[in-house]
Amino acid sequence: MNPETSDGGLAVLEEIGKASDGASPLGCMQCGLCAASCPLGYAMEFPPRKLILQVAAGNLDRVLGSPAIWMCVGCYTCSLRCPRDIELTDGLWPALRDRSMQAGHQPPAELQETFQNLFKYGNTLGKSPRQRLDWARGLDVPVLDLSKERRPVDVLWLVGCYPSYYPRNQVVSRAWARILTRLGVSWGVLGAKEKSVGECERMFGEEGLFETLVEQNSKLLNEQEFQTLVTLDPHAYRALHAFYPRHGAWYPVQHYTMFLAERLEQLRPGLVKPVEATVTYHDNCCVGRRCQCFDAPRALLEAIPGVKLVEMQRNRDNALCCGGGGGGMWLDGHIVAHGGHRLSDERIGQAAETGADILAVSCPYELARFEDAAKVKGLEGRLHVRDIIELLAVSLGLEEVPAEPS
Amino acid sequence: MIGQDRSALRIGVYVCHCGTNIAGVVDVEALTSWAAGLPHVALARHYKYMCSDPGQELVKRDIQEHNLNRIVVAACSPNLHEPTFRRAAENAGLNRFLVQMANIREQVSWVTDDHHEAYVKAQAHLAAAIRRVAMHEPLQRQFVQIRPQALVVGGGIAGIQAALTLADAGKDVILVEREPSIGGHMAMFDKTFPTLDCAACILTPKMTAVKLHPNIRLLTYSSVESVEGSVGNYHVKIRRKPRYINEELCVGCMLCIEGCVFTRARFPNPFDQGLGTRKPVWVPFAQAVPPIPVIDPETCLEIARGKCQKGCVEACGERSAIEFDQQEQVEEYDVGAIIVTTGFRTFDPSVIPYYGYGKYPNVYTSLEVERLLNAGGPTAGKLVLRDGSVPRRVGIVHCVGSRDKNHHAYCSRVCCMYALKLAHLVREKTGAEVYNCYIDIRTPGKGFEEFYNRVQDEGVHFIRGKVADVTPADGNGHLTMTVDDTLLGSIRQLDVDMVILAVALEPQGDANDVRRTFGISCSAEGFFLEKHPKLAPVNTANDGVFVAGACQGAKDIPDTVAQADAAAAKALAIIDAGQIELEPNTAWIEAAMCSGCKTCIPLCPYQAISRDEERAIAVIDPALCKGCGTCVAACPSGAAMQHLFSDEQVHAELEGLMLHL
Repeated sequence: MNPETSDGGLAVLEEIGKASDGASPLGCMQCGLCAASCPLGYAMEFPPRKLILQVAAGNLDRVLGSPAIWMCVGCYTCSLRCPRDIELTDGLWPALRDRSMQAGHQPPAELQETFQNLFKYGNTLGKSPRQRLDWARGLDVPVLDLSKERRPVDVLWLVGCYPSYYPRNQVVSRAWARILTRLGVSWGVLGAKEKSVGECERMFGEEGLFETLVEQNSKLLNEQEFQTLVTLDPHAYRALHAFYPRHGAWYPVQHYTMFLAERLEQLRPGLVKPVEATVTYHDNCCVGRRCQCFDAPRALLEAIPGVKLVEMQRNRDNALCCGGGGGGMWLDGHIVAHGGHRLSDERIGQAAETGADILAVSCPYELARFEDAAKVKGLEGRLHVRDIIELLAVSLGLEEVPAEPS
Repeated sequence: MIGQDRSALRIGVYVCHCGTNIAGVVDVEALTSWAAGLPHVALARHYKYMCSDPGQELVKRDIQEHNLNRIVVAACSPNLHEPTFRRAAENAGLNRFLVQMANIREQVSWVTDDHHEAYVKAQAHLAAAIRRVAMHEPLQRQFVQIRPQALVVGGGIAGIQAALTLADAGKDVILVEREPSIGGHMAMFDKTFPTLDCAACILTPKMTAVKLHPNIRLLTYSSVESVEGSVGNYHVKIRRKPRYINEELCVGCMLCIEGCVFTRARFPNPFDQGLGTRKPVWVPFAQAVPPIPVIDPETCLEIARGKCQKGCVEACGERSAIEFDQQEQVEEYDVGAIIVTTGFRTFDPSVIPYYGYGKYPNVYTSLEVERLLNAGGPTAGKLVLRDGSVPRRVGIVHCVGSRDKNHHAYCSRVCCMYALKLAHLVREKTGAEVYNCYIDIRTPGKGFEEFYNRVQDEGVHFIRGKVADVTPADGNGHLTMTVDDTLLGSIRQLDVDMVILAVALEPQGDANDVRRTFGISCSAEGFFLEKHPKLAPVNTANDGVFVAGACQGAKDIPDTVAQADAAAAKALAIIDAGQIELEPNTAWIEAAMCSGCKTCIPLCPYQAISRDEERAIAVIDPALCKGCGTCVAACPSGAAMQHLFSDEQVHAELEGLMLHL
């Protein structure tokens, strides 16, 4: 074996550091907090600490071909804990994925399918843009399609891919449309013109595609007149809040939990129908840990009569990720194949330990992931997964009662 | 100055080579001949080292032989040699304030390699200095008398040491301590590293010496409320909390504690970090100084509710030392110097959710474990968990709150060594397996590395990695520590019964208030700022106020004691001098121009300006003024003026700069 050389390694780290918001990875002191904090670190050939160490030693090639490159699920635990404030999650990982693909390494097969969907249809689900408004079919409140009729609105709702196309999420979208209407705000959507915000594209390492999307979306948004952008997707919130401004695109954006928490007093008189259930809340990573917004979703749940809110052992800053971020949504097979496990399976077990009837979520990925996990763990029918929007809609009398907890 | 006879000006200009520091970049010969032709310049010379004795002699001889009445030295920063040339001028019979320096080293030759640029800029600096010095006036040196007493604030090991050193030198010392007893953190420890001396055995003799010393007035349960005045003359107000026990009458028999109607101690004892309990009348620890109990007004039935059988009063008997009607009092003192030794507090690890402190009972801070190990502590020195069982496996987490930009970016310096000490003591007392999880082991002190080696030899595990999670292993209180063993290259899970968090040292919670009270500054991390990190490590921005110990930065006992003695020596140097010279560049108010608008008063960072209510004008105390010029710039009517910074002087200097740039 040749002696290790560090030629060029530090320059790569310096370059990666300059492209991220955090401190330079050159400052890594190899404490290993990231590796041991990572919910999948035990299964990675190179957890973040070793990625940095290998790159610094000049072994970039060695890490770019490793399956570890595709095992980060974007939970931000390492970034938030890093004692040297290095932005690992949305700095180091996407940068290495980008370089990995540029070096000719193929991403895992299941992700390649997603890539094809993205390039072909502009969304991860491979659906036609013409179906963007399918979720609103037969809805009992009017939906203003700003792509057809430009009008100033209070709220421009970026519906997002899963809430537009995925049947389970479409239920939530319809409930959200009713709540927005009940609040008396004027609101609209971009209809067939809406495109992916680009968060997952960026986390996949497709920085170029992301930049194209920023450009296209900015053009679309700049044509519209609105007070606030609202999204149901924490990942989209993170992108619009933190990644877009890096490209000069700044918009007032809120995740729906933030938007509603500000209007809680307006909602409260309408929250009359009790939801008699013990509820535990799963903090999503992007709005929760990364943006430290923990109180808004809890305030919403506690405002619902009948709800008894209980906490999981790991909550708020310390919550365990569902495994769906950073591309994880499309990488379960790869992660399990390389010694990991589905974090949603682990997390639903933690939720079940609280004795809750309902696991409340506020991220489109989580509904699908946790309902699936409930089946795997034999919790189906005992632990129901509901978006906060659904519970609010029930209490507001805007939605059919979901299958009642037993 | 207006009315000054400019024709009589005879300015001597001296350009220093500073070896090659200046001459290597600036053409000093050309600069000198150019300067010789400037108005009022009687003579110009250049010399290899102006600060040398021959250089100074040159100035002196020229003043006498050539009747020079102004001197300009173009050399290094005035911070370095202005006093040198002022003294040389004075020795030759010239007023020392008729000297001006042009800094052509730090501001010229050291900041460019371009010889032409350097020359032009040197010309500008020199012209500015020449024009400025022409406007200088002779000023009188001012001195103030010094109060011979000193105040020491904080009765930990730093304050104790500083007070004893000053008192032994025959000075009167007032030692103020916020808690009921002196001793500070050191009194809480069981053993001290690396020698494993019993902390109490080496501390309590010093505490007793404080109590018995005729030159020390000890004020415990007290805090400094305000400080006025300046170096040599501080007026200090000290607030004394009611102890409800008369310190003159009490003999420290502690019978009142026994007699208290609470037969069982049931309130958390802060000295034991809440692990032990106390009664409403209590002493923090057996060797407390003064050995006088204190009554907590919140838990004492008589004080809180006015109805108690007062077993304490009965136990005290004829001495009648218990006084339920004591009130808070303010005492006032005048001192010449102040030493601030207010110490540190430990980092609260409950803000780090992944270590589970405050959530899992078997997670302890290092300070809590110090109390458990201490024979005078809540378990009489037995290391047991909250359920009374002896831990078989103990994890020690290093760098909790230290070396972490989310909390404190700095290294707390003492944690590695105290963690090693705790590892040793835990093993000695329980035989438990001990796992030290560290980022780097830092042992750069005398005997420290040897101690590390000794603890290794005792069979303590060392794992290089920062612990990421502490989670319950089962329902029985056992814990799992998750850590990346970075040397092994794999992530490990260690099952332990007890986790000890080696918490950071951080500034006291009220450090910012204390800073304001004493007119000193804090560095970015909140510790008190020394005047210079290398050359004035115990001085502060306030000339008569010194700092020592962990209030200035995390440090161990040996460093604290050394620094305390250094601060005592500095304080002594001021007090013993009897008088002190003031900087001449102070501000003053031209009474006729002052409108009494008070704009300047709140702006002064040194509280040097007050209002003469009778004359309705502002007045500046020259002893307090530091010459910052804030009031001069702010005064709307131009009444605030400053010696060495008159408008004429500043304008002349600017003209000199501009004309030659």
